[in-house]
Amino acid sequence: MIYFDSAATTFQKPRSVAAAMQDAMATMSSPGRGGYPAAMHAADTAFDCRSELADLYHAQSPEQVVFTSSATHGLNIAVKSLVPPGGKAVISGYEHNAVTRPLAALGAKTAIASAPLFESAAVTEAFDHLVTPDTDAVICCHVSNVFGFVQPVEEIAQICQTRNVPLIIDASQSAGLLNLDLTRLGAAFIAMPGHKGLYGPQGTGVLLCGQDTPVRTLLEGGTGSLSIQQEMPDFLPDRLEAGTHNMPGIAGLLAGIRYVRQHDPAAICGRERRLAQFAAESLRTMPGIQVYARPDLTAQAGVVSFTAAGHDVEALAAALGERGVAIRAGLHCAPLAHRTAGTLESGTVRLSFSDFNTREEVYQFLTILRELLR
Amino acid sequence: MEHYLIIARSVTYAQRMQRALDRAGIRCQIFRAPRELTETGCAYAVRIQSMDLTAALQSLYRESLNPVQIFVSQRGFYREVDL
Repeated sequence: MIYFDSAATTFQKPRSVAAAMQDAMATMSSPGRGGYPAAMHAADTAFDCRSELADLYHAQSPEQVVFTSSATHGLNIAVKSLVPPGGKAVISGYEHNAVTRPLAALGAKTAIASAPLFESAAVTEAFDHLVTPDTDAVICCHVSNVFGFVQPVEEIAQICQTRNVPLIIDASQSAGLLNLDLTRLGAAFIAMPGHKGLYGPQGTGVLLCGQDTPVRTLLEGGTGSLSIQQEMPDFLPDRLEAGTHNMPGIAGLLAGIRYVRQHDPAAICGRERRLAQFAAESLRTMPGIQVYARPDLTAQAGVVSFTAAGHDVEALAAALGERGVAIRAGLHCAPLAHRTAGTLESGTVRLSFSDFNTREEVYQFLTILRELLR
Repeated sequence: MEHYLIIARSVTYAQRMQRALDRAGIRCQIFRAPRELTETGCAYAVRIQSMDLTAALQSLYRESLNPVQIFVSQRGFYREVDL
């Protein structure tokens, strides 16, 4: 199988990930639930994972690293911590349902900082126009899951800092690839999945919390601390980690993070972008294909969307699937991004790469696609 | 043997303390805090030798790590130490 759906989840993982998970199943119980070796081994692994993430994203303390089950879980905590029911949020035009649905559930008044695809300056301008001191939160994905558009989070963070408005960054598509500095950006939260660019298993996610960010709980329960007290602890990570930890997942995530750091996120991102550029250039030569990419892939990560005239995107993806190419089509749980880019009616076919893809695979995909479109 | 237990608010906090003490070359171990010492329920403690208390506290405060409580163990009994 040629797997080009890494924006959903990286399917091919480093071997060390499965090995770490197996080891966890055999040797770890629950962190914070005992002083015996299996509990302390779990606690050490969880702490090492928090420390690696704090180091990678410049959090001041490992306690600011909260384990979640997904980026969606983290984004729900972040949004519901900052936006009260009926509150005011400003979001980019490329947000995922993981952001827009919690806002809708809160009945938030949401302003959309809409800007054309790959127009970074226009995104900044739109946020500059909409963010006011009474905005409860600004929410922005670092990279669009549909188009790979890298949004100008540094500039948006500056706007937020100047106006004293908390910023939530959805790093679902950039984690493990692009640099983010929690402290320097002054972000209230950065949410990310463990199972995409960090190469952890499904069911893992991370929420990085700014040092002074107020946090509301989504779940209440046992934390292994302050057990007599019936309110959740007021300190992190315990406040947001009720219930038993996913230790095989955390151990696998730690192995994935170590793989990424060994291979250098910038180098991985560079390889993925080169594959995306090769794919985009080649697709552009095919009649009837519209590729959503700038020729030099400015402001774009390793994700490329396209449509083929006269072909339904889902039917095309299904035909590719039958020929061994795993690819995602449709709206990618991000109707807002499609509305902003003008692809809501058709949807797109999306190619998204990982460190395990090769140029040869892109070449094979192009050959299969040419046959299908003939 | 006389030793001190430095009570931490959580296992993660106790681990931060342990790492800070390791960096300062002070030997320590993490334990579940004895139930009789924690009015609020489950907690973790970092155990150090009595001769290391001053250096340990200096290292912890240098990294802005604040113990919840400190107890000294003498002849099998714990007594809280004023911070």
